Amino acid sequence: MTNTLHRQGAPGTLKNDFVIFAHTAKGINREGSASKLREFMRICLRHKPVNIGDGKQGNIYQDDIDIEELIRNQGDASGATAVFTDLDTLQKVIEDLIRADLGLSINVSGLLEEVKTCCRRAGIQRHSAEHSLGFWGAKDRLPERHILEINTMCGHGMVSFNFIRKLIELVKLRRLTPGKAARIMAKCCECGAFNPARAQVLMEKVRQGG
Amino acid sequence: MEIDKEKCVGCGNCHPVCTMGVIYLDADGKSVVNQEECVECSTCYRVLRNEGSLPSFLRAIRKVLAAFRLGYVAEVDVCPTGALTPPKLQWPRSLRAMFSDPSTVHPGTGVLGRGTDEIKSNDVTGRLREGEAGFVVELGRPGIGARFRDIEKVAMALARLQPHFERENPVTQLMEDVGTGKVRKDVLDEKVLSAIIELKTTLDRIPEFLRALEKIQAEVDTVISVGVASRCLADGTAPHEEWVTKAGCKLSSNGKTNLGLGRPLFKEP
Repeated sequence: MTNTLHRQGAPGTLKNDFVIFAHTAKGINREGSASKLREFMRICLRHKPVNIGDGKQGNIYQDDIDIEELIRNQGDASGATAVFTDLDTLQKVIEDLIRADLGLSINVSGLLEEVKTCCRRAGIQRHSAEHSLGFWGAKDRLPERHILEINTMCGHGMVSFNFIRKLIELVKLRRLTPGKAARIMAKCCECGAFNPARAQVLMEKVRQGG
Repeated sequence: MEIDKEKCVGCGNCHPVCTMGVIYLDADGKSVVNQEECVECSTCYRVLRNEGSLPSFLRAIRKVLAAFRLGYVAEVDVCPTGALTPPKLQWPRSLRAMFSDPSTVHPGTGVLGRGTDEIKSNDVTGRLREGEAGFVVELGRPGIGARFRDIEKVAMALARLQPHFERENPVTQLMEDVGTGKVRKDVLDEKVLSAIIELKTTLDRIPEFLRALEKIQAEVDTVISVGVASRCLADGTAPHEEWVTKAGCKLSSNGKTNLGLGRPLFKEP
């Protein structure tokens, strides 16, 4: 899945949006990965991510999800995800992961040059890189930029354009705070790649007509 | 998705949550799903908490409130009566959930949702090697959805360039013939939230593939998200950047980075 590849936004807002995920490969390092994925999540948790979860069990914003239980129940799986809002914290997470030497494939979605620098500072060279070349085809069917910025934070597309519009309206009417609206959106995203902190800032901006 | 008409009170909460925008109020004041357009992502079912209220009680309240020109407002993330009912899906409709619901494991790949590996495990699989470029061509996203008829058009246009379609990819597994990109007939009318064509070629052929995409994009009624990847050089440079730029395409400032911490590390022969 290219779940986190096409996150939209100006570099100014993307600098607060880094998704780190552990990934396993079937037949290579997926089998027996449960304890390593649990350790990955614990390392991330120590650095206070704004979201964390996995595609199978959900993320911390969903009803009845307790992070300790989610980690405890983590079995051999394809991966786990956490979101951070600044490069310094990301750097520390990467350094901890290098030290832990879990043997899982670790990927980061975010500003590529910044992540590359982060790798160098941590004493490693990035292995592979992937760019988005944007949207092609029937682009006339796409909504306004701010809707896309929020929608693409859940690459699986679980936060619908209409739901974002409705939540913006409720925020404008003061029936929801930007923070509460952002948390509701995060609940839609199954794997935990959605960044509610960035969504809150965007909602606040849109509320004031920005 | 189906909606139990005995339970639905027509609050409309499920309408905006629907990723495809295909739930609406019927003449009887109850919500209904346009089955032709629903992609079985189950977002409505997962996100809207079942409050377990009694339908008859809620209907009575709504009538009383309406008499005073007042409205009934449920919290945005609930289905007051638990009317949303996931159906048991049969082939080929079950394909919709496999591609649209990220909590569904695709039987052919063992990965959740429309799952592809791209560069995410490249450090241990060596799927993309030096001199190679990987393409991920995703139809339907963001937020529009795609029919396999359109997915086939793009796959066939790319197949003419004789790429290596990724075997462990759900779209490749639906191709009758990877040489032509033709998709099996019984799924062509199925609609999914998105589907990813995943292939690799050599770096120098990137411009050719981008030209083919440039040409075919006008023939599909959906959006296409395009991604390009490669194995980095020893100094950390991503060699595909040069070829994408030569082709006149703009690279995003953000993207995905594999840090190379997977073990056992793949060693090129």
